[in-house]
Amino acid sequence: MDNNTSSFTDLEIDTFQELMNIVFGNAAADLSEVIDIYVVLSVPQLKMIKAAELPEFIQNNIKEDIVYNTIIEQNFLGNFNGFALVVFPRDNESKFITLFRENKDMFYECDATGELEKEILMEVGNILIGACVGKMAELLNDSVIYEPPRIIVEDIQDSGVYQKLHDPKNWALVLKSTFHFEAQDLTCFLFLVTNNESIGWLKKALNDYLRQFE
Amino acid sequence: MIFSEIFNVLNIGLVVLDKDFKVTYWNRWMELSSGIDKADITGSSIFNYYPDLRTPKFLRSFKSVLKFGNFVFFSQKLHRYLFPFKPVGHLGLEFENMQQSCIMGALRDENNIIQYIFITIQDVTANVAYENRLCEMTITDGLTGIYNRRFLETRLKEEFDKNKRNYKPLSLIMFDIDFFKNVNDAYGHRCGDFVLKSVSAIAFSAMREVDVLARYGGEEFSCLLPNTNINGAMVVAERMRRSVMEHKIDFKDYSVSITISLGVAEADKETSSPGELIEKADKALYKAKRSGRNKTVAVDQQL
Repeated sequence: MDNNTSSFTDLEIDTFQELMNIVFGNAAADLSEVIDIYVVLSVPQLKMIKAAELPEFIQNNIKEDIVYNTIIEQNFLGNFNGFALVVFPRDNESKFITLFRENKDMFYECDATGELEKEILMEVGNILIGACVGKMAELLNDSVIYEPPRIIVEDIQDSGVYQKLHDPKNWALVLKSTFHFEAQDLTCFLFLVTNNESIGWLKKALNDYLRQFE
Repeated sequence: MIFSEIFNVLNIGLVVLDKDFKVTYWNRWMELSSGIDKADITGSSIFNYYPDLRTPKFLRSFKSVLKFGNFVFFSQKLHRYLFPFKPVGHLGLEFENMQQSCIMGALRDENNIIQYIFITIQDVTANVAYENRLCEMTITDGLTGIYNRRFLETRLKEEFDKNKRNYKPLSLIMFDIDFFKNVNDAYGHRCGDFVLKSVSAIAFSAMREVDVLARYGGEEFSCLLPNTNINGAMVVAERMRRSVMEHKIDFKDYSVSITISLGVAEADKETSSPGELIEKADKALYKAKRSGRNKTVAVDQQL
């Protein structure tokens, strides 16, 4: 984690990193079972950044021309509160759609081209986000409510993502991980972003977690 | 008591399943919409009553909610409905089944362990009906009822991309009504509108189901012919020209004879964009006009 996380102690940082390793390990195993595809989740990288720097951080971390990617966004509400982004690299989108599409998926004539594909990507994003946020909430004894996922099609710089954090001067805790669907050689990126209020709760939850081992 | 009453007066369906897909709760809305009594279905597997629910997607979602405690959103756009209920009200007449937006989520016990799955079912048929109407308005020409230019250009781009990917032939006909200004001047604009509607209907009846006919602007029309080479497109275009010529258009006391001129082009290897294909067909149309009208001309045809 970055050095500017002055509000976290070293022990808290280590604990959180350890917890995330457990969470993402469990999520990968359960995801593989749920979707019947072997999934590898990279060790999550944690970073505290200013909310205003978030779009640039995300753009730099996916190393793709973001204009041409589909990004799924989903808000989650709880003590652990924030939003998640799943970024599908352009080249992988059609493979994901083929993997999750069912023959009976049909659209009305009037539906715009690509709507079906967007819906399928939202469904995939929903499962991936649910797996990680759900496991994290479970481990930290939180109960989370999810809003429906939606697609951000514009350039992330203009998407207003960081405005969700109320004040761009606020700190945001960002977790980045990569899903790799091994047999299909598919990759997508996950970012979990939590706001200032959650950071206070998170510190308390981490300390409660540590107390179990005292 | 109060809570179960709330669930029974809600205008949404609520179903609770246990981990073995057995129904443990079925609210009043579900009883009324399905015609299945709560007492009958409780304790039975949901698949006994709704076998079509057993899809890979439903099972995957169920497993996901049990594992992660997340929500799964069954959007109307993708799923149409989960439970095949009859639509309610006159807006539902265009649908065989009620259109639904459903959410699946987890219910935990006091130890935070997931024990049950809930599904909420919201009737969105009226919204979809309105949405479809709005959508139709955005792709249809208000006067003639055929597609508008925007829709044609969208479809042309899609078909052009397919043509480049799969090397399947693609042709375009541009046509307009000969001396249309004279019709307006002699018989008035209402008659002109009637002629536009009639020509659209005649041209439409001369087309195949896969073709896309649109009003391109004023008295100009365009017809997109997927999987059709220039020879096939010439046959369709000639059929249109003859049909229009042979029809007398009767408006009030007048009987108006109308002819059309048509230009035909195929997207060959040299055609680099949809716009270029339109230009080629337009050029052919101009040739047809210049050579005396009431003619079908292919882009490279020597006159």
